[in-house]
Amino acid sequence: MIGGLFIYNHKGEVLISRVYRDDIGNRRNAVDAFRVNVIHARQQVRSPVTNIARTSFFHVKRSNIWLAAVTKQNVNAAMVFEFLYKMCDVMAAYFGKISEENIKNNFVLIYELLDEILDFGYPQNSETGALKTFITQQGIKSQHQTKEEQSQITSQVTGQIGWRREGIKYRRNELFLDVLESVNLLMSPQGQVLSAHVSGRVVMKSYLSGMPECKFGMNDKIVIEKQGKGTADETGKSGKQSIAIDDCTFHQCVRLSKFDSERSISFIPPDGEFELMRYRTTKDIILPFRVIPLVREVGRTKLEVKVVIKSNFKPSLLAQKIEVRIPTPLNTSGVQVICMKGKAKYKASENAIVWKIKRMAGMKESQISAEIELLPTNDKKKWARPPISMNFEVPFAPSGLKVRYLKVFEPKLNYSDHDVIKWVRYIGRSGIYETRC
Amino acid sequence: MPYLGSEDIVKELKKALCNPHIQADRPRYRNVIQRVIRHMTQGVDVSSVFMDMVKASATVDIVQKKLVYLYMCTYAPLKPDLALLAINTLCKDCSDPNPMVRGLALRSMCSLRMPGVQEYIQQPILNGLRDKASYVRRVAVLGCAKMYNLHGDSEVDGTLVNELYSLLRDQDPIVVVNCLRALEEILKHEGGVVINKPIAHHLLNRMPDLDHWGQAEVLGFLLRYQPRSEEELFAILNLLDSSLQSSSPAVVMAATKLFLVLAKEFPHVQTDVLVRVKGPLLTACSSESRELCFAALCHVRRILRSLPGHFSSHYKKFFCSYSEPHYIKLQKVEVLCELVNDENVQQVLDELRDYCTDVSADLAQAAIFAIGGIARTYTDQCVQILTELLVLRQEHITSAVVQTFRNLVWLCPQCTEAVCQALPGCEENIQDSEGKQALIWLLGVHGEIIPNAPYVLEDFVENVKAETFPAVKMELLTALLRLFLSRPAECQDMLGRLLYYCLEEEKDMAVRDRGLFYYRLLLTGIDEVKRILCSPKSDPSLGLLEDQAERPVNSWVSEFNTLVPMYSKACWAAISSSQVSEPHGPEPSGNGVLSASGSLVLENKEELQPLCDSGSFLLVPNGQLTAEQFEKTWLSLEVAHQEVLPWQGVAHPDTIQTALQVVNIQAIALSKAGVQPWKAYFSAQDGAGCLFLTELLLDPEPSQVHLSVKQSQAKAEALNSFISVLKTVIGTIVGIKS
Repeated sequence: MIGGLFIYNHKGEVLISRVYRDDIGNRRNAVDAFRVNVIHARQQVRSPVTNIARTSFFHVKRSNIWLAAVTKQNVNAAMVFEFLYKMCDVMAAYFGKISEENIKNNFVLIYELLDEILDFGYPQNSETGALKTFITQQGIKSQHQTKEEQSQITSQVTGQIGWRREGIKYRRNELFLDVLESVNLLMSPQGQVLSAHVSGRVVMKSYLSGMPECKFGMNDKIVIEKQGKGTADETGKSGKQSIAIDDCTFHQCVRLSKFDSERSISFIPPDGEFELMRYRTTKDIILPFRVIPLVREVGRTKLEVKVVIKSNFKPSLLAQKIEVRIPTPLNTSGVQVICMKGKAKYKASENAIVWKIKRMAGMKESQISAEIELLPTNDKKKWARPPISMNFEVPFAPSGLKVRYLKVFEPKLNYSDHDVIKWVRYIGRSGIYETRC
Repeated sequence: MPYLGSEDIVKELKKALCNPHIQADRPRYRNVIQRVIRHMTQGVDVSSVFMDMVKASATVDIVQKKLVYLYMCTYAPLKPDLALLAINTLCKDCSDPNPMVRGLALRSMCSLRMPGVQEYIQQPILNGLRDKASYVRRVAVLGCAKMYNLHGDSEVDGTLVNELYSLLRDQDPIVVVNCLRALEEILKHEGGVVINKPIAHHLLNRMPDLDHWGQAEVLGFLLRYQPRSEEELFAILNLLDSSLQSSSPAVVMAATKLFLVLAKEFPHVQTDVLVRVKGPLLTACSSESRELCFAALCHVRRILRSLPGHFSSHYKKFFCSYSEPHYIKLQKVEVLCELVNDENVQQVLDELRDYCTDVSADLAQAAIFAIGGIARTYTDQCVQILTELLVLRQEHITSAVVQTFRNLVWLCPQCTEAVCQALPGCEENIQDSEGKQALIWLLGVHGEIIPNAPYVLEDFVENVKAETFPAVKMELLTALLRLFLSRPAECQDMLGRLLYYCLEEEKDMAVRDRGLFYYRLLLTGIDEVKRILCSPKSDPSLGLLEDQAERPVNSWVSEFNTLVPMYSKACWAAISSSQVSEPHGPEPSGNGVLSASGSLVLENKEELQPLCDSGSFLLVPNGQLTAEQFEKTWLSLEVAHQEVLPWQGVAHPDTIQTALQVVNIQAIALSKAGVQPWKAYFSAQDGAGCLFLTELLLDPEPSQVHLSVKQSQAKAEALNSFISVLKTVIGTIVGIKS
């Protein structure tokens, strides 16, 4: 259980402080202890859990905001961190980016949220949708609250399905499905893949009336390690079209028993946006870009760098927001860059050449070459050559995941699967995409 | 800064709150209240506007109500009398037709942490428990826990407990979980909430309805339940199978723990479970949420200690990425070191070698120590890598490599020669105490096969005056004396100089004492010196023995998914122990067991150290009990320790009383001298408030004394320390008499 929750800005000033239990002692002491020992600490953060005077401080950083949960008990660490993430998600759902300005402007709302989400340090209701009933940003007057709203509060949690309330109506039944993937790569200088994985999410925005029953299908060759049940026989049949998922988890609304027996994903979706599924793959990943670095040291004061990037996907698709970051030594005095495409700039403050390309089609190649002048130093230490990192966005799923169908059934209301407008979108982004040089 | 001029701010706020124009204008009024809260958050003491805030609570505006209640909960302990004024409004809100208002008022009322509030909240809580809105019931259930927490000493109300147990059948899932939480707190002293068969099965059936938090906590409560039969056990495991696939890492972890604990008797089931959670753990380890990733890595390390090959095929998942935070990299290095096998050792070592030259000295050293750990199995490859690192002539790298060498030579004597060849030249690149100690130790123990060992040590002897670390000087003394035994001609002169310096000029008492000890030892003759100093130079069995206790899965299941794997075990022991005397900071557990440099040198150190009584155990003087209190406590406790000690002659109450007084053990009652049987009672208290009650019973016939000790809190460590203190004193008294 959580004894208190504090939010600080980067200077260590308290923006929000909420104490739930007395056992964490004097509020000021706890607040200050974290500031002094972690935010103002000189060395790097050693651990996301810090113990100060027998009190554990769990922290999470979002841009330059620190969120800290404080407890005196021997708690379940994964749960506290998950709670902090959830808190961030809920706040983001209410006012967007978590920044100092937003927190200051919404501090009343945050106190309201903290009041509902935690009671006596125990997590209560934290679903954004369900919370909306309790949070009264506009200050609804108590007498004027309609009968309907009141009954909602009562019925919301008494109903069979905790994540969806009854009687939702839309004029247009719409569904948005986003497959969001982040592809991570660690490549050796010789072009050998050291490790690569995709972590993906299927996010759904549903605007459907009533209590619809949805069925979702994808091209899986699921290798969830089920005890004893072999899946080898199907691999040959589905061939290249299917993908192997290492591990996947679903939103609470998915009936896992059905998934285990029939491998079908069926659920009654919450209203609005939610994360249907989260998965990870490591096999047969389409690496959208290949980085080929070439570094040559010419004498002691000059360095020649040539980097080629190759796009490896269908020529008809376009990658966007491409950024290649080529680190330079600390004693760089000047840089000359020539690139065929996009813009490249040497950023002395970041010790890197940043090369940006707005758009790039598949199966293309582009190259940058740079001459780096170095100041002579008597430092014996060799430059440790940090890896070249990349950012990009591509309109397909690097894991190869495809949505095969998404069907909607609503037995009580008279709309069928054909009446629902469905949108599917694939976005692949770079996670940590590094090539050593 | 918010602290400056806070008086003006408070004055201004007070004025604004009192202003009738503002009070009439709702948005403006709320705005002022917001400002009060803002200042409260920043740490300004705004308690003096309490009265005006209480007035502001009588409003129909819910947001304003919430803010005012927040304010009251913060300052109620400071202004209990004024807070009572607010109770009236709160009570009225508790019967509001709107369930949200009822819940809010009840929650706030229970959170007013002030004495005397109990009598006002009891009735609203009882009403709340039977409210038709689940929202109010949730609040009321936790309110019971809060009420009990306010008055921890009060008797547990049986009817309330029964009511809460019956609410476990509530249809709202959060009410159910809150009931468990509340019962756990209320029944803390009786071992928490009781999970019997019907409750356990009821909870298992409700699992799918609960949210993540609820599931994770219920899984924790189910740990208490012991299934009656094997069939029931496996039925439970089957029911909970889906929890292992939950999307919430917290639920997965809690489920894993429950499986491991329930399957205590079935090692193969435990292994199966650990195989099943491999996927989720690896996902967490490569997730973008750094902190969860850290927690997962800590648990992976724990699992690896029992099942070393468990993650070996996934070793690439634990390669560090450049942009990862420091703490994750350090954990990954530790993991890599534990999962090597014949197939991946080359790749892992190549990867670790890259980290050795990392910009962060911490990571570089951790990687070197990790290679040292791997070297226990794959000695030749690792020694070669480490030797190559010495060429870089970096201070932190050389120091870590030499420390690794020292540990390695002790465990794997076959690499001694290779290590000794690599050593020359290292002394120029070592500045820190640990590194110097390691180098000096190696030179001393294996000096006979390092040609220039005496000359390197001579440099240290020359500069001994400028040496800042006493530990290095001590190490130097020992090493030089050892080397003197094997190469007397080259060392005699400088040994003389060093001893002279230690005896005549050294300020540090420990160093001086050791110098003096060696000096006297040398006077007794060279054979005696050899007998004491020529201890074995290696002990390969140590590597096999260490950590054996941690091996079986059952040894750590109870700590799985708590904070223990997050801090190291030693740190946790320091944190959770109730002894206030020594605050330990979290220490990096970099170089394994041999990190304390002295632990390798197996010489008779005890002779040098003054008899230290009992480490950090401290008895506090104010443990004075009255005879009545003593008697009551004595009767209520079990005997924790009994022992018979030798004794001579009659007892002198005064001597014993005075002697024990010195170590803060108070006499409660003593028989007069010469009375048969002679009895005495003593009490003492340690820093953590644990009471030790002692009875001495003198038996004249075989002339011995019976000792029985009772302890108010069961703490074996403290008990042992106390008994050793007691025995020392009694031994001393007997000694004086004879």
